[in-house]
Amino acid sequence: MSSDRDTILARVHGALAPLAERAPLPEWDLELVHMRTIQPATDLWALFAERLKLVNGTPLSAVADLVALLEQGRWRRGYCDPALWPQFKDAFPAIFTVETAFDRTRVDDYDFGITAATGAIAETGTLVLTDQGTSSRLAALAPWVHVAVLRREQIHADISAALAVMPADPNIVWVTGPSKTADVEGILIEGVHGPGVQVALLV
Amino acid sequence: MAKQLIDQFAATLPADKRASVYQSTKSTHEKRTKMLFDQFAEPNRLRALAGEIKQHVLEHLDTLLPAVEAKLQANGARVHWAATAEAACTAVLRIMQARGATKMVKAKTMVSEEIALAPFLEKHGIEALETDLGEFIVQIDHDHPSHIVRPIIHKNRREIATSFERHGLGAYNDDPQTITRRARQFLRQKYLQADVGLTGANFVSAESGRIVLVTNEGNSRFSLAAPPCHIVLVGIEKLVPRDRDLGLLLNLLARSATAQQLTVYTEFISGPKSAAQPDGPEEMHVIFVDNGRTEVLASECREILRCIRCGACMNVCPVYRQVSGHAYRSVYPGPVGAVLSPLLAGKKFPELADLPKASSLCGACHEVCPVNIPIPDLLLRLRDKAKREGARRAAAGTPPMGAWALLASQPAAWKAALFGSKIINYLPTKLLPVPPLRAWEDTRALPEMRGGEFRKWMKGRKKS
Amino acid sequence: MLNAERKPVTGKRVQLMATCLCDAIYDDVGRATVEVLEHAGCTVDFPEGQTCCGQPAFNGGDWAAARKVVRHAVRTFTGEDPVILPSGSCAAMLFHGASLAFEHEPDRVEVEALGRRTWELIDFLVNGLGITTWPGRFDAKIALHRSCHTRGTESIPAALTLLRSIPGVEVVEFGEVEQCCGFGGTFSVSFPNISTAMGTLKLAHLRAAQPDLLASVDMSCLMHLGGLAAHEGKPVKIMHVAQILRDALKHP
Repeated sequence: MSSDRDTILARVHGALAPLAERAPLPEWDLELVHMRTIQPATDLWALFAERLKLVNGTPLSAVADLVALLEQGRWRRGYCDPALWPQFKDAFPAIFTVETAFDRTRVDDYDFGITAATGAIAETGTLVLTDQGTSSRLAALAPWVHVAVLRREQIHADISAALAVMPADPNIVWVTGPSKTADVEGILIEGVHGPGVQVALLV
Repeated sequence: MAKQLIDQFAATLPADKRASVYQSTKSTHEKRTKMLFDQFAEPNRLRALAGEIKQHVLEHLDTLLPAVEAKLQANGARVHWAATAEAACTAVLRIMQARGATKMVKAKTMVSEEIALAPFLEKHGIEALETDLGEFIVQIDHDHPSHIVRPIIHKNRREIATSFERHGLGAYNDDPQTITRRARQFLRQKYLQADVGLTGANFVSAESGRIVLVTNEGNSRFSLAAPPCHIVLVGIEKLVPRDRDLGLLLNLLARSATAQQLTVYTEFISGPKSAAQPDGPEEMHVIFVDNGRTEVLASECREILRCIRCGACMNVCPVYRQVSGHAYRSVYPGPVGAVLSPLLAGKKFPELADLPKASSLCGACHEVCPVNIPIPDLLLRLRDKAKREGARRAAAGTPPMGAWALLASQPAAWKAALFGSKIINYLPTKLLPVPPLRAWEDTRALPEMRGGEFRKWMKGRKKS
Repeated sequence: MLNAERKPVTGKRVQLMATCLCDAIYDDVGRATVEVLEHAGCTVDFPEGQTCCGQPAFNGGDWAAARKVVRHAVRTFTGEDPVILPSGSCAAMLFHGASLAFEHEPDRVEVEALGRRTWELIDFLVNGLGITTWPGRFDAKIALHRSCHTRGTESIPAALTLLRSIPGVEVVEFGEVEQCCGFGGTFSVSFPNISTAMGTLKLAHLRAAQPDLLASVDMSCLMHLGGLAAHEGKPVKIMHVAQILRDALKHP
């Protein structure tokens, strides 16, 4: 393919050569993309939770609330990141079946998946998942309920703050609410390929 | 007289299709505008800035492309280049053949539509399945997308339910929730069986080599969680200079496309999965596609390459709203398509030279464009090009201007014509076989001609 | 757009470019323009050799023909005085379109110099002369159509400022103001189906607001909308903003 590379780059050079001057890269103030509707928050979790609800996400701040939510939805079989399970298992009654290895041959056997978040963005209600921080990409995606476990100090104020500290990771995913589509007549349907319920659990 | 193809298409579009296209474009446009202006102090400044950033990229592709190639390689991705559509299809095929791969899942990529990848792969015995709900429906219907963000904006739920039934996806049911659940069940097995996940790229950061992908449904995430190989098809214009610039572009893209603060899933991919991760691709390929882009870059319409494919221009366009995307006979419809499609057509420009004519030049597209592309100016430049190259499809229905220009540069002749024009008031115009007159009078009353009256009045005042 | 680079207006002498629509059809708009400018204290010159701004050929894609007409305008409107047009569209042709058509022409400088002293009438009154209120009286509910070629200019805010200052005027709101009426010059005859559909939609929005009349700073849009309404057998009253300003003066 090296010849296509040379061809393309030669064409690019040829196309740009006649330009007398080239457009400079503008510097821009990050303040410009701050949403004016959002006041600077001291409690980033509170702001994050409020914004997450606006995109139909579910913020929870106690394991007991998570268990109640799962019981209410009759979501009883699930997966949990093996590193997180020890801190949660006592809160889950015996009606729950929770595995710590995700078996991709039976993805529909899992009603929920609990994995770790690496961060969050308060102004948009966004969870940050990374490849290295997520114990299984599929477990965070295939079950109907995804629970991202978050610590308070991981929350960034806004998109620009999150972009400024992007970790070296091959697959960073920003998750803003449950999976959705409006392809059919513009009607909003949640849970297309990914979770229909997106939980952020503060620990 | 030859007629404009897009106007003819409009006349045959069923009323219910027109109504659904109109309703959903209008509602998306209105939500987009409210959101931008409510949430940001200076949305138009953001658009201008984003335009400058993308223009900088275009005018520095000679240095940015090799830089991003090196970054991607350092991140563990393999980089390929494809000068043409054929070369891009072949590159994908070779990657698959080298792995003995026969099944592909595709997350929405306009470039793959542009190079007609799926039919090509199918000819070579490879299943290439669309996973975006709308694109999936388009595929099982052997149809074409009619909007770059809302591919089935032209279909209603009853048509979709019928397609699902025909395709063995359950008995007829036109409830959108049921349709979506059935697609979920069907497609997740396909992800798990696939050998390769293919995606496009919304942005590629030259600074970090991160490929940025946005989807609401999660299909691109699934395509990167189940199959062992990831192929990215990306146009050479998709670069952004720095990661921080994504803060501006992502904010604008989601609001402009679907009136969201952020698309549900924004992925930053810089290479194959990490060693400890059980799911995801162990191999990643990035194919940079030219397919006519360098010619656009060399043209006076290079600004169109700033486009970030949000679809806001089609949502606001009064012509698109009347005709839908299929009228444009190309992968990219609407105002951006009316510029981009004829240019990407290369030697086949004359076949699409009528597209730039399908605009009242109202400028609404420029006003909403998140990267501030002066689309009306580009449409005008292409009209000039079509005229110079004698493209007949563009000329259809436009009265000849040469004689008029002669008249309008000779004051005496002009004045005589003005006074003479009054004769129209006494002619049976409805019987005259003058095509532009017919086209006007079929739906609009002619005003009374009063040529020369104003000049007479001006003269009279001077004397008094 | 060159109209962003205009020098402040110092003198009161102006040149009127009446536009071909006023020259051939809407002579009363031409008269109103002169009377409004004179009320604002201007001396109005009318170069007799004037014809058209060149826009029909420019939009039609025949830029060679358009340049011929623009060059004629450059020869006709000499000197330094502002050139005033009762049309946002024709004004935009001179301060924007012409600079595109002359990008690679040796006389680009002269063409752009004309563009920099070209004004749409209402923009000139408010932003050139600094007039922000208009005297007299005009009793009507007015729907002001935003003609598309005033996008990115101050013409519509200016028209709203003046109209709202006139006792008796009520400016009514209507839906989808940003949408085009469907005229688009030759578009109206080369794309008659789409043009008509767009106009019908615009009329429906306008009528829903139940105005007494439909106003604009461009007669071309009004010719199309008025023609559609008349053809339907449900005529609407159309007026250029200049006519409203002039008529207001008749009722001190």
